[in-house]
Amino acid sequence: MRILVVEDDTSLNRQLKDALTDAGYAVDVAFDGEEGHYLGETEPYDAVVLDIGLPQMDGLSVLESWRRQGKTMPVLLLTARDRWSDKVQGIDAGADDYVAKPFHMEEVLARLRALVRRAAGLASNEITAGAVRLDVRSGRVTVDGQAVKLTSHELRLLSYLMHHKGKVISRTELTEHLYDQDFDRDSNTIEVFVGRLRKKLPEDCIQTVRGLGYQIAED
Amino acid sequence: MAAETAVLKRKGSITASLFWLSAGWLVVALVATGFLLSDLYSRALDTSLSDTLDFHLESLAGAVLESGDPTSNAISLADPRFDRPRSGWYWAIRDANGTLYNLSTSVVGIDLPVMMGPPDALGRRTAVMEDAFGTNMRVVERTITLAPNTYQVVVTGNLSEILQLVEEFRGQAFVVLGAVGVMLAIMSAIVARIAMRPIARLSHSIEAVRSGESGAVTGTYPVEIAPLAEEVNELLRSNTQIIERARNQVGNLAHGLKTPIAVLRNEAGARQGALADVVLAQTDKMSGLVSTYLDRARLAARTAVVGKRADPATVLLRLTRVMGKIHPKVDVRYDSPEGAVPWFRGDEADLEEITGNLLDNACKWSRGEVRVRLGSEQGETATSLLIRIEDNGAGLSEEDAQKVLRRGVRLDEKTPGSGLGLDIVKELVDVYGGSLQLKRSTLGGLLAELRLPTVRATSAAKG
Repeated sequence: MRILVVEDDTSLNRQLKDALTDAGYAVDVAFDGEEGHYLGETEPYDAVVLDIGLPQMDGLSVLESWRRQGKTMPVLLLTARDRWSDKVQGIDAGADDYVAKPFHMEEVLARLRALVRRAAGLASNEITAGAVRLDVRSGRVTVDGQAVKLTSHELRLLSYLMHHKGKVISRTELTEHLYDQDFDRDSNTIEVFVGRLRKKLPEDCIQTVRGLGYQIAED
Repeated sequence: MAAETAVLKRKGSITASLFWLSAGWLVVALVATGFLLSDLYSRALDTSLSDTLDFHLESLAGAVLESGDPTSNAISLADPRFDRPRSGWYWAIRDANGTLYNLSTSVVGIDLPVMMGPPDALGRRTAVMEDAFGTNMRVVERTITLAPNTYQVVVTGNLSEILQLVEEFRGQAFVVLGAVGVMLAIMSAIVARIAMRPIARLSHSIEAVRSGESGAVTGTYPVEIAPLAEEVNELLRSNTQIIERARNQVGNLAHGLKTPIAVLRNEAGARQGALADVVLAQTDKMSGLVSTYLDRARLAARTAVVGKRADPATVLLRLTRVMGKIHPKVDVRYDSPEGAVPWFRGDEADLEEITGNLLDNACKWSRGEVRVRLGSEQGETATSLLIRIEDNGAGLSEEDAQKVLRRGVRLDEKTPGSGLGLDIVKELVDVYGGSLQLKRSTLGGLLAELRLPTVRATSAAKG
C-alpha cells in the first residue's frame, strides 16, 4: 500500500512518514499544496493524508482539484479546525474522513486502515485466503493458526495482493503501489519477493498469471 | 457597557415640545390678530361715522343757505335717527352767543355743547363728547354766513353705538379665533405625532435586529432619519467585524498551537522514559486548554452576534450526508418535516456544532441505526425548534444521563478536555436559551431531545 502524506510542518511530516512506514506502508511526502497536488495527480496512491492548512495551495483546493479530475483514492484530512462546519466543508470537498489536530498517531493509523479497507470493499480487519490469514491492524500473518514471520517488503506485497483478492495484479501496479517514489524500481525485485513469499506460504497461494501478473484466488 | 447605560437618560419629549411650542405661538398670534382686527374694524366704523356727519353737516348748511332763514321749518334731515329723542343723533343751528334758531326733534332735555378753539382748514370743529344721558357722541360744527349774520351748524352722531358694535365684533372674533386656535393645536399635535412615526419605525427595526430577526436595519426613512439608520447599520457592521476579527485571532492562535502540540505528543509517544511521560502529560493538558479556551472564545464572541438565522433542514440534511461518509456502517435516517419548520435563531455554524456532535455521538454508540427527526413545538410564548436524534445503541442509564447533563456545571469549572463533545453542545444550547434532554429511545438507545429558539414565522418567510 502506498500512501501520500501532504503536511507542511516538517516535524509532523517526518513523524507521519515514520509511523506509516513502521505500519508497513510505502510513503511519499510533500510539504506544500502544489507538490502534493502534483504527486496525487501523477502517482497511484492507495490513500492520502492531507493537511488543510498548506502553503501555495490549500488542502481543500488540492482535494477538490483531484476529485474534479476523477481521482477516487481515499483522502484523510488533517486539520486544526475541528468545528462541524469545518468538517462538513472538508467532506463536501471530497474527503473520506477527518482527524483533528492534535491527534494520537494510533487514530490516524486506524482511520487510514479503515479507509484503505473500505476502498478495497472489505468489511473486516482480517483478510483470509485459504489457510492464510492477515490481520491488517497488527500486520500479523498466520497460516493455519501458525504465525509466519515476514519482512516489511514481503508483508507489503502480501497485504496488497490480499486487499485485491481475486484480481490479477500486474508487476507494474505492484511496483507502483509497494515502493515510494525514491525506491530503485527494478521489476525483478518483485519476482524475488514473490519467490520468498511463496516459500513461507502454502504453495498455491500466490498464482502467476502468465503475461499479466499475480493473483491470490478468491476462496 | 454599564457606564454607557448610566449616561443614557430619558428626559422630555419631542412630540410634547413641538406641541407646546407651536401652541404657545398660536395663542400669542391669535390674540394679537383679534386685537388688530377689532382695532381695524373700529377705525373703519369711526371713519364712516365721520363721513356720514360731514354729509349731514353739508346738507344742513346747504338747506340754511337755500332757505335764507335759519328758523325755517323746511330745514330738516331725512335720517330718522334725528327724530328720535336721546338717540345721540342731534343737530342744531345757533349763533355765536348760543341763541338757538333751529333744532332736530331728537333734542329733548339736553343742551348741545358749545365748542371752542380754532376751526380746521375747512372751517370746522370736531370733538367727542358725552350728552346728558351718558351717550358718547362725535360732534361736528361749521360756521356759515347768511349776511349780515353768522350761524353755527352742529351735527352729532352716536359713538356709543359704534363702540358697542366693536365690542360685539371683538367677542365674536375671539370665539372664532379661539376655535381656529383649538383646531390648529389639534393639527399640530397630529403633525408632531406623524413626524415622530419614522423614529418609532426605526426603533422597531433596531429591536428586530437585537432579537435576531434581521441582520440590519431595514425600511424606508425620511432624509432626516435615514442617516441615523445608516449609522446604526454601520455600527452593527463594524461590531460584527471586530467580533469576527477577535474570533479569528483567538482561533488562529489556538489552531496554530495544535500542530506543535501534535508534534510534541507524537514525538513523546514514540519514546520511553520520564521525559517522554512528562511531555505527554503536559501536551495533553495543553491540548485540553487550547480546546477549552477556543470553545470559550467562540461562546464569548457568540453572545454579541445578532441578527443571524439558519435553516435547520439544510443543516440536518448536510450533516446526515456527512455522517454517511464518516460512519459508513451506520444507517442514518433523516425524516424531513411535513410542513414548513421555522428557522433557527442564531449562527448556522453553531447549529451545525450542536447537532453535529449529537449526531456523531449517536453514530458512535449506535448498532447501525440512527434516526433524526425535525419538527417544531408551540410553547406558551414562542415556537421552538424540536430536533430528536436517537440511536439503537446501549443508551445511558438515568443516572449517567443526569450526570452528563448536570445543571450549573459550566465549561470553565470543569477539567478541560473531559466529555464527549457534549460540553460545547450544552454550553451552546444554554447560550441560545434552548434545552437538551436525554431519554430512552424506542430504538433501544439514547434519545437526545433538543429545543432551540426560532425566528418568528413572518420574518422567516421573507427569505
